[in-house]
Amino acid sequence: MTAPLLSTHGLVARYGDFQALYGIDFEISAGEVVALIGANGAGKSTLLKSIMGLLRVAPEMVRFEGQPVGGLQPHRMVAKGVAIVPEGRRLFTGMSVEDNLRVAIDHAAPMRAGGWTLERVLDLFPMLREMRATPVQSLSGGQQQMVAIGRALLNQPRVLLCDEISLGLAPKVVKEIYRSIPSISAAGTALILVEQDVSLAQSASNRLYCMLEGRVTLSGKSADVTREAIGEAYFGGVHAVA
Amino acid sequence: MQWLDGLVQGVLLGGLYAQYALGMALMFGVMRIVNITHGDLMILLALIGITLASTFHLGPWSVLAILVVAGAIIGWVLQRAILNRVVGADPLPSLIATFGLSVALQNAMQQIWSADTRSLRGGGIEAASVQIGPLFVGVLPVIVLITATLLTGGLDVVLRYTRFGRALRASSADVEAAAMTGVNPKSIYAGATAIAVAILGFAAVFQSLRATVAPADGPFQLIYAFEAVIIGGMGSIWGAFIGAMVLGVSQSIGFRINPGFGILAGHLVFLIALAVRPQGLLGRQ
Repeated sequence: MTAPLLSTHGLVARYGDFQALYGIDFEISAGEVVALIGANGAGKSTLLKSIMGLLRVAPEMVRFEGQPVGGLQPHRMVAKGVAIVPEGRRLFTGMSVEDNLRVAIDHAAPMRAGGWTLERVLDLFPMLREMRATPVQSLSGGQQQMVAIGRALLNQPRVLLCDEISLGLAPKVVKEIYRSIPSISAAGTALILVEQDVSLAQSASNRLYCMLEGRVTLSGKSADVTREAIGEAYFGGVHAVA
Repeated sequence: MQWLDGLVQGVLLGGLYAQYALGMALMFGVMRIVNITHGDLMILLALIGITLASTFHLGPWSVLAILVVAGAIIGWVLQRAILNRVVGADPLPSLIATFGLSVALQNAMQQIWSADTRSLRGGGIEAASVQIGPLFVGVLPVIVLITATLLTGGLDVVLRYTRFGRALRASSADVEAAAMTGVNPKSIYAGATAIAVAILGFAAVFQSLRATVAPADGPFQLIYAFEAVIIGGMGSIWGAFIGAMVLGVSQSIGFRINPGFGILAGHLVFLIALAVRPQGLLGRQ
C-alpha cells in the first residue's frame, strides 16, 4: 500500500480545559473518499479543525506527504494543498459569487495538471453560472453550499475536508451536491466527508471512521461495515474493527 | 449668498476631513479596530514634514511624497509590532492599546518638538484664491477636495478589483473563513493600516499648510474623523467621504450663524445623525 497523503498520529486536541480528542490515528490516500461519522460532539469537526490549523496541535500529530504540519496556520495549510468546506458554509457576505471564488483563486496552492478553473467549477454547478454577479447572501442554501465547495476546490486542494455539506439542505439538493463527489475525487483529490447521514456517508465513501467521545470506535471499508457494527460504535459499547 | 458661500467652503473643508476619515473607516471596516492614535499619527507626520521642509528646504509636494511613504511604513510597523497582537473579536484590547499609544505619542512629540504650534510654508499656494462669480474659492481647499475624491475613488477601485481588495473584503466579512481560503489575515491587516496611515500623509501636509499643528492637536482631528465615519456609516469608504462633507458643511454653516457655533454645530449634527440613523447614511442595517 502507498504511503498516506495525510495522516494524524495520536492527535490530541482541547478547547481550554476541555479535551475534545483523545489520540486519533487517521489516514487518507490520494483519490480516496473517507467518511467521518458519529453523534454530535463526537469530535468530527474538531478533527477537521485540528488538521486545518484552527486548533493548536503538536507538529508531529498531523503529517501531509510525510512532513509534520500540525499547528501550521490555516493559510499555510491551504498553500500546502489542504482545503476545507467549513460547517455553515462561511461565505464572504456582501461579496458576489465570483468574488468569493476569486479569493480562493488568488490564494490557491500550486495548480497541478487538470486543476480546477472557474470554468470547471461552473460546469460542475451550472446553476451558479448566471449568478456570478449575485451577492452570496441572496442565494438559496443549496446554491451557497455549491459556492462553498467551489471556493474550496479553487484552492487546488490535494485533500478536501467537507464539514457537514448536507446539513440543512433539501434531500434533492443533497443528492445533487453528492453527485459532484466522484468528479472531484477522480482528479486524485482525497476527500474527507463529515456527515450526519450514516447511510449517505457509507454509500459515498471508500472507507469510514466512526467517532465517539473523542475516540475512533470503528474504522474499515465502507462496503464491509455492517449496520450493527456502526450502531455499536456510534452509541458506545465494545471497540470494533471490521 | 453667505449661505451658498458656507456650503461651498463646507464642502471644501469636508475634503480635509475625508482624508482623516478614510483610513479610520478602512481600519474599522476590516479589523473592527477604532484607532485612537489616528489623529496623533497625522500630527506626527505633519511635524516630521515641517522639520524636513525647514531642514532640507523642501517644497510641500516633496514633503507630501516623503510623508506618504513614511506613513505607509509607520502603519505597516504599527500593525505588525502592536495591533496584530491585540486585534480580535473583542474590541477592548485594541482600544486600550491605541489609547495608551496615543498618550505616549503625544508626550513623545511634546518632548521632541515642544508644545509650539507650527505650520508648513507652501510658497503662496496656501493664500491663493480664484473668484468664481460672487464667490472666492481658495486654491488649496480645491486641491484638497480633488485629492480626497481621488483617494476615495482609488481606494474603492482597489477594494473592488484587486487581489488585495478581495482578500481585504473577505477578511472583513469573516476572517476565519478567509484564512481557511488561504488568506493570511495578519499581512492583509498590515496592508490596510499601511494604506490608512499613508492617506494621513496627505492630510498632514494639507492641515499644516492651511493651519497650524501642535503635538496635542491629535484628539481633535480624531473626533472629526470619528464623527465623519459614524455619520457616513462605519466601515464604508464612500460613507466616510459623504460623512466628512456633512460634517464640513455643518461646521461651515454653523460658523456663519455665529463664529463660536461652528464646531458645536458639527457635533450637534453628528448627534442627530446618531439618533436618527445610527447605522450611518450608507451603512447597512
